[in-house]
Amino acid sequence: MLRAIFLLLVCQLAGEAIHRATGLALPGSVIGMVLLVCWLALVPRERPGLAAVAGWLTAHLSVMFVPAAVGLIDEGAALSAYGIGLVIATVVSTVLTLVVTAVVFRWALARFVAEDGV
Amino acid sequence: MSNAALLAAPLFWLTVTLGVFELFDTASKRSGRHPLCHPVLWSTPVLIGVLMATGTPYPAYKAATMPLSFLLGPAVVGLAVPIWAERVRIRRLVVPISLALLAGAVTSIVSAVGILALFGAPREILASIAPRATTTPVAMAVAGQLGGIPALAAVIVLFAGVVGAMIATPLLNALGLSDYRARGFAIGVAAHGIGAARAFQVDATAGALASLGMALNAVVTATLLSIAALLL
Repeated sequence: MLRAIFLLLVCQLAGEAIHRATGLALPGSVIGMVLLVCWLALVPRERPGLAAVAGWLTAHLSVMFVPAAVGLIDEGAALSAYGIGLVIATVVSTVLTLVVTAVVFRWALARFVAEDGV
Repeated sequence: MSNAALLAAPLFWLTVTLGVFELFDTASKRSGRHPLCHPVLWSTPVLIGVLMATGTPYPAYKAATMPLSFLLGPAVVGLAVPIWAERVRIRRLVVPISLALLAGAVTSIVSAVGILALFGAPREILASIAPRATTTPVAMAVAGQLGGIPALAAVIVLFAGVVGAMIATPLLNALGLSDYRARGFAIGVAAHGIGAARAFQVDATAGALASLGMALNAVVTATLLSIAALLL
C-alpha cells in the first residue's frame, strides 16, 4: 500500500519537475500519469496494491474537487456576465463531442478493424 | 484553541466539507446516481452558504482544505491504471481509438471556445472552458496553466458531465449507434467520469471504454492545449 502511494507520488513529482523544466502547460500530474504508464510497461508485474490505491482515489475524486468548486464564491461577476454563453457553449460542445467521437469510432471500426466477434 | 482559530483550522473545514458531501452523496445513492443528483452539484452551493454565513474568506477555506485538494494530483497519476488494464483492447482498437479521440478532443475544444468567443468572453473565461471535456482535476490544472479560473473550470466540467450523462443514451439511440464500444468511448471522451459512471450502469464494456476515453482524453486535450498555448 505504502509502496503504491510512493509510486504515485514519485511519478507526480517527476512530472512536476518535467513541467517546470520544460515550461509546458501540460500539468505535472498528467505528465506523471504518462510516466506511470511507461513504468508499468517497463516493469510488468501484478500490482494489487496500486490497483487498490488508484481505484480508491478515482472512486473519491468528486469530494476532492469540492474545495476548488467552492472557489466560485469569488466568481460571481464572471458568472453573471457570461453565464448564458457558458451554458450554451458547454451543452453544444458536449453534444457535438459525443456525436463526432462515436461516429468516427464506428467508421474507423468498420474500416480498419477485422472483427472476430469479440 | 480559541473559537476563531478553530474556525480557520483544517480540522473544522475538512469535517464540514466531508459531512456536507456525505449528506448529498447519500441522497445521490438513493436516487440511483441520477446525474442531476451529483453530490458536488449540491455540496458546492451549501458550502458557499456556510462560508458566507461564517464570514470566512475563500483563501482561508482553500488553505484549510488543502489536504483534500492535494489528493487530486496522485488521483490523476492513478488514471494510468485503467489505461494499462485496457492495453490489450487498446492494441486491437488502436486506429478507432486514436482517430475518435483526436476528433473528439478537437471538436470539444474548438466548439466550446468558439461559441463562448461569440459571447465576447475574455481570455481567462475561454481558458476555463477549453479543457471542459477532461476530468475535473485535469481541467482545473490546465485552466490554471492557461491563465483561466480553476473554480470556473471545475463547475463547467461538472455541468458538461451531467449534460453528457443525461443525453448520451437518447442521443446515440437516435443516431442509430448501437456498438457499445463506440458509445462508451464517446461518453468518456465527451463527459469524463460522470459519463463513465452512467456508461457502467448501461453496459460493462461501455463502462470500460468510457474510463479509457476519459483517461486518454485527459492526456490528449491537455497536450493539444499546451501546444495551442505555445502558438497563441
